[in-house]
Amino acid sequence: MSDLDRAIEQLRACRPIPENQVRELCYKARELLIEEGNVVAVDAPVTICGDIHGQFHDLMELFRVGGDVPDTNYLFMGDFVDRGFYSLESFLLLLCLKVRYPDRITLIRGNHESRQITTVYGFYDECQRKYGSANVWRYCCEVFDFLALGALITGASTDMQPSDANIADINSQSQWPSEPSDIEIEILNQHNQITHRYPRHRPAPISQDLSQLSNTPSSPSQAPDQAPVRNGAPGTGASGHSRGSNNNKDGAVFCVHGGLSPLIDTIDKIRLLDRKQEVPHEGAMCDLLWSDPDEIDGWGLSPRGAGFLFGADIVKCFNYKNDLSLVCRAHQLVMEGFKEMFDSTIVTVWSAPNYCYRCGNVAAILELGEDGSNAGYMPRSNGDPNRSQGIVAPLGEREQALMKMGPGRRYRVFEAAPQDPRGMPAKKPVADYFL
Amino acid sequence: MASIPNLNTLRRGGQRRRGGRGGRAVPENDDTSNLENSENEKNDRIIQQTDYDASSSRVSAVALGYLDDPYAQLFLQPGEQIAKRYPMHNRGSYVRTTAIDRFVTSFIRHPSMEGGDAKRQIISLGAGSDTRFWRLCRGDHGRRTDVVYHELDFEKNVEQKRQAIERAPELESQLEPTAEMPSTYFLHALDLRTLARSPTEHKITGLNPSLPTLLLSECCLCYVPPDTATSIIKYFTNIINGPVAVILYEPIRPYDPFGRTMVANLGSRGIQLQTLRRFHSLEAQRKRLQMAGFDDKQGARDIHQIWTDNDWISEAERERVEKLEWLDEVEEWELIGSHYCVTWGWKGDVFSGAWEGIEGGRTGSEARDDEFG
Repeated sequence: MSDLDRAIEQLRACRPIPENQVRELCYKARELLIEEGNVVAVDAPVTICGDIHGQFHDLMELFRVGGDVPDTNYLFMGDFVDRGFYSLESFLLLLCLKVRYPDRITLIRGNHESRQITTVYGFYDECQRKYGSANVWRYCCEVFDFLALGALITGASTDMQPSDANIADINSQSQWPSEPSDIEIEILNQHNQITHRYPRHRPAPISQDLSQLSNTPSSPSQAPDQAPVRNGAPGTGASGHSRGSNNNKDGAVFCVHGGLSPLIDTIDKIRLLDRKQEVPHEGAMCDLLWSDPDEIDGWGLSPRGAGFLFGADIVKCFNYKNDLSLVCRAHQLVMEGFKEMFDSTIVTVWSAPNYCYRCGNVAAILELGEDGSNAGYMPRSNGDPNRSQGIVAPLGEREQALMKMGPGRRYRVFEAAPQDPRGMPAKKPVADYFL
Repeated sequence: MASIPNLNTLRRGGQRRRGGRGGRAVPENDDTSNLENSENEKNDRIIQQTDYDASSSRVSAVALGYLDDPYAQLFLQPGEQIAKRYPMHNRGSYVRTTAIDRFVTSFIRHPSMEGGDAKRQIISLGAGSDTRFWRLCRGDHGRRTDVVYHELDFEKNVEQKRQAIERAPELESQLEPTAEMPSTYFLHALDLRTLARSPTEHKITGLNPSLPTLLLSECCLCYVPPDTATSIIKYFTNIINGPVAVILYEPIRPYDPFGRTMVANLGSRGIQLQTLRRFHSLEAQRKRLQMAGFDDKQGARDIHQIWTDNDWISEAERERVEKLEWLDEVEEWELIGSHYCVTWGWKGDVFSGAWEGIEGGRTGSEARDDEFG
């Protein structure tokens, strides 16, 4: 067993590794990360995870629900540290896995991977407490500076891979589409049971007469084409009123911790940033890690004091210009674990259940399958608006809808790990509430 | 400082004592039922200790410039460090204090009825190490201030406060009424539950039943059973025959995921929020005060609403506070802020004049509370 495997073993048991091993690990990690571009290329299949925030036992639950490394290919969108009690063990374990299986796990930077924020929100204090000095915190911060700013996932399937999962509630099944190709979104609970399925809103085949279709709205034979009349699951854009996703078929998925920046209109511009530094207080790099989508037009000021708010028009324009089908980000607590917005052009994934042991939320991870069939494959080129326009422009509305398809999305929703006796310090200050 | 026998009441400005309200000696704990077992005592101790949280949170907020309150740190225990609180908690302390300040200021500043007494009375329940009296003396609520100020709390908390006052000349010196600052201060050691159990047996020294009176309960009445809380309020509304108002600051919304977790977390530390289920929403809080006889008007707002409303906190002030610290807990702030509220209600013209303009009626966002009956 190598030293690295031993360290992984130890960290999996939630025990910190000695300082000299941390130094060595961080050195190796930096060597690895320095070779990565600002935007890492990732091939589907991949499981996308949001904020972890030092909730080690919940990270273990995430691996139980999503599969272990290296069996599952993971992408973590930052905020590994701060707030929880085990930032150190959580981050070092992820870093060990990165060094051990560099092609099976991708780590990108969150706004908490910063010297300034970690001194306010707990990681600095935790390192001081566990090692008696700030050395380990310093090693980790040096790794933070080398983390990529985003990732671009290609090869994700628009079809849902058949799942062998059981149905949680058998009564709801009858409304679900039967063909895997009709499923756009599937939601599973932590027991690997399907709780919801949402069909892709596919227009009828072009040869079919439109008036015929509208005359027989309730015909059973048409059922697979009809969105069931029901409210969407919390967090999805797939309500009964949703038109499904409105994306370029086979477009790539862009992953970033926070969101977009008014200074960045193409992914290539991200590639040009000098990222190897502390997160600045403003500018493109700051925005990517701090911004949030919001129900506004254009850009707005962020209540966080850094980054911006951006509206649907900004996302749709960015996706179109960069031939993306989806922006995937983390950064914001969502009570249901995930939340799709703006006609499913952007999704927030949140992976820290019962955040801060206080918020009562569930967590989620997002699985994107591999496009194995090659059906509907279309060569894509990033940042080439003319090409996209050339294809889309001459088509009518229904045809356009057919062209724009996001990846099939399987969300696994999970609750906080059963509370380990050590999960919470015995004497946690009650000041967590306003008393 | 002379100790106050039996009554355990620290009071200064004795020469201003009203006739007929003199200090009848009451045993320090006249609960004769002797049913208090050690479990109950333990629970009481936990509640008494919540004052430490409020007080250290206030000191943290002051240290970072959220609040201007030089008195807060004088109530720290000797050798106690200034605690570091998350930005969200500092902002919470700020909003809570600022919101209640708004009521107190307009209550004190509002011109009294023609020929009426300019004097006011404030009764702070479970006051702990609250500093409002000293801020009031400093002029935070206006210069024309003649207030009879009562603080009531467990004997243990009162004893701590008394010691802190003895240690700090800045605090002690203010207790002597002067021509410019005639306000008087009474500190009563009293288990409020005894007021509910045997209301006729208790006289609160210095309490003037004819003055316009404001009752304050900042996270105090939420720790007793709901009927007891109602009886405690009733004790005062029965005695006071002048205009009377109440301001409550306490948690709400126990039924959503955040609320359920809050109840469970606090419960695991021995803190039972006993009124929370009955007075679970802003509307339930308003109704509660209406039933209690504050029938001129009732209002309620949660902390997050207050923070985002320009009527409460001006845009410039909000910007100032936002710049004090980076607050990355935006969603959490909204969650915790929507689980605490300020509720107010009154009867009497003085309060109508002072508070009529403060909006506290039902808003559209309260619809989500309706599903939890």
